[in-house]
Amino acid sequence: MIHFRKSLEGVDRPQMEADVVIVGGGPAGMACALRLAQLIDAHNAAHPDAPMSKENIYVLEKAREAGQHCLSGALLDPRSMNELLPGFEKEAPLDGQVHKESVYLLTRAGQHKFPITPPPMRDHGNYVISINKFVKWMAQKVEEVGITIFTGFAGTDVLLDGERVLGVRTDDKGVDKNGQPKSNFEAGYDLHSKVTIFSEGARGSCTQQIAQKFQLENPEHAQVYGVGIKELWEIPAGRIAPGEVLYTLGYPLTTKEFGGAWIYGISSTEISVGFVMGLDYADPRTDPHHAFQSFKEHAFLRGILADGKMIRYGAKSLPYGGWNCLPQLYGHGWMLAGDSAGFLNSQRLKGIHLAIKSGMLAAETAFDALRSGDASTTQLAAYKTRVDASWMREELYPVRNFHQAFEHGLLPGMVKAGIQQVLGGANLGPDFKCSPGYKNMQHLGTCSVSDDARAQFLGPAKGDGKLTFDKLTDVYHAGTRHEDDQPTHLVIADLDICNRRCTQEFGNPCQHFCPASVYEMVEEEMVETSEGSGSTQQKELHIHFANCVHCKTCDIMDPYQIIHWTPPEGGGGPNYDGM
Amino acid sequence: MKILVCLKQVPQKDAPLKLNESGTWIRDDISYEVNEPDAYALEEALRQKEKHGGEVVVITAGPTRAQQVLREALAKGADRAIHLEDDGFVGMDAVNTARALAAALEGESFDMIFTGLQSDDYGFAQTGVLLAELLHWPHATIIIGIEKTESGVRLKRELEAGHYQMLDMPLPCVLTIQSGINKLRYATLIGIKQAKNKPVKRLTLADVQGKLGKNLQVVERLYVPVKQKKTEMLEGTSVELAKKLVEKLRNEVRVF
Repeated sequence: MIHFRKSLEGVDRPQMEADVVIVGGGPAGMACALRLAQLIDAHNAAHPDAPMSKENIYVLEKAREAGQHCLSGALLDPRSMNELLPGFEKEAPLDGQVHKESVYLLTRAGQHKFPITPPPMRDHGNYVISINKFVKWMAQKVEEVGITIFTGFAGTDVLLDGERVLGVRTDDKGVDKNGQPKSNFEAGYDLHSKVTIFSEGARGSCTQQIAQKFQLENPEHAQVYGVGIKELWEIPAGRIAPGEVLYTLGYPLTTKEFGGAWIYGISSTEISVGFVMGLDYADPRTDPHHAFQSFKEHAFLRGILADGKMIRYGAKSLPYGGWNCLPQLYGHGWMLAGDSAGFLNSQRLKGIHLAIKSGMLAAETAFDALRSGDASTTQLAAYKTRVDASWMREELYPVRNFHQAFEHGLLPGMVKAGIQQVLGGANLGPDFKCSPGYKNMQHLGTCSVSDDARAQFLGPAKGDGKLTFDKLTDVYHAGTRHEDDQPTHLVIADLDICNRRCTQEFGNPCQHFCPASVYEMVEEEMVETSEGSGSTQQKELHIHFANCVHCKTCDIMDPYQIIHWTPPEGGGGPNYDGM
Repeated sequence: MKILVCLKQVPQKDAPLKLNESGTWIRDDISYEVNEPDAYALEEALRQKEKHGGEVVVITAGPTRAQQVLREALAKGADRAIHLEDDGFVGMDAVNTARALAAALEGESFDMIFTGLQSDDYGFAQTGVLLAELLHWPHATIIIGIEKTESGVRLKRELEAGHYQMLDMPLPCVLTIQSGINKLRYATLIGIKQAKNKPVKRLTLADVQGKLGKNLQVVERLYVPVKQKKTEMLEGTSVELAKKLVEKLRNEVRVF
């Protein structure tokens, strides 16, 4: 019997009043906190008679420490940081300025370098960063300005009063695997806040609660996602220069799947290698982790990685949909920022600068709400107005059809993207619509048994232990850690669907798309059949939640939409130090 | 009951460790946490205070980043903190660390000092004992139970192979606490918030330098072990296999 996590009922909950609660301490949340502090400081300098307090502004972060659940390539476009903290380059941890980019199309046996780097992939002036170190640094800044970051605390439930968001509940701590309080039980707090800002990253769990409740998404423009899988490598010097950027398209994917890879030079001996795969593929056996491993086996990569050493692993989903897929961004008492809203430029594969900018704009809106004592929907609509008036729209609107162009494969996609480039982002017709990626998944019966063109990413990767790794080896390098004695935080609405219907129809794709070996179908003991004809064997889903790296792929890609990713006990999760 | 708890900040257990350039220690761009046995020492101190009243003070010697463990302790219920704040405390040997701690305690008076049994990084298991020596206090190690008595405390020590030792000790004393003596509590939001206003006294290396000597133990060079895993497959019937295996264990692995 699997016991799933939910807030305990019938317990006394402590309450705390807040002015602003920022749920999620990534780049968006930290930028939001910093901007709020700047505005309040400026206000207090101008109006010493009527000072505002920063005392009751809180950032909730589920990781043990700020930045530990942050994962990205990562390249930073400095535009928004220059606005937030002019001169930040002098003290922020930056690894190197991009000075050289190239794009390759990989075929099974070779590679073709694009004669020119397409303009959107020119990254001159951007920085290679570790998002982990960068966010840690931002967190220091936030603490210095006097805003409290509660690390190790997740927002688990949105507190609602009709249409109004009252705040969030934090995670219950000290609950055992049967859902009973342990001797050190601490009930989660009800944090009541005038304004709540959700900046939880892609597919945030609180964001999902209100997205479903208030139907924030436009069904014609549903958000679509990808999963990014990354390894840090140490390699012999002289192969990739610090600040050198390589992108690849093609192998191991066929023209039908969306995805590609990056290689960023961090130092002369350290590189970030990663692979992004669109979560809208058709074959349920597709394993994005396997695709990444096969990518590294390509001769082009072997040359770079030979005699190197993999030192860290991680995975995280990202929103691809772009401008047209933005959900409603605000309501009574709440706003969405960063990846939770879908602020990512999928053409440039960049979102950190947009996350930061959206956090700043949410902060400006929250500040006005605090000052006027009004956090109504009408008041917070100013957030959307600010977004529309900012360079975020200038950047995102012209590429609004980019990802959608690739829905029918790489080649038509490149033609459509080329047309968009000429027409300023428009198609030869109306904007493309967008439906959730899991809907593309085909029943197992309709897929060919042995698909030679796709063998390199169907089913699990074996791994040679040097260049390529099986999932468990990689997961070990994510440093993920959870209290074992707690309920399962991957909440499945109906296990019967997993154990019977899904096995028949899709062959349990959760085993394949999860990059952390959380889901396993295990042969269970014989079950007596009613006819008495002996017994049958049945596979049952086992959930190894302690492996979870909080990427949310399962929540996104499960074809029945019965898996809900909820936060485990705060403090649990990966350790993306240096990632 | 006034109790001092010595805390050490150590690399997180799952942190990716890399040698620094001189090869004398690890690079410090990783995440840190409180040394595990120290967390139990703190919990025990808080429980003693809850039973008998008094004060819990925490102390650490380490760089600025080490204030993390003090803040966490204050959030869980410690009353005040002392931070010997200097990069120079990294890599200091156990004697000098104990001397620095002893020097920082001048003017203070405690009934008990708790330390963790040992640290997760260097693993000396000496600092607490040396501190007792410097203070001329009695000490006991590997404590898994503390009961207050009329004249002092009754202690339970964990020995090997499931044996325990019970002993009585007068106060003041130094106790090194074993992990698992209790169940750790969680910090609460209100605790974290209140911790911001609790006093933290800062001392520098210069403040205690006069009491320190030369480091008697210095790490000259660290080496990463070379992987030497070797798999050998034995063949034959099960009787032959058992024989071969015993021979290997006896002559090559020398386990008996």
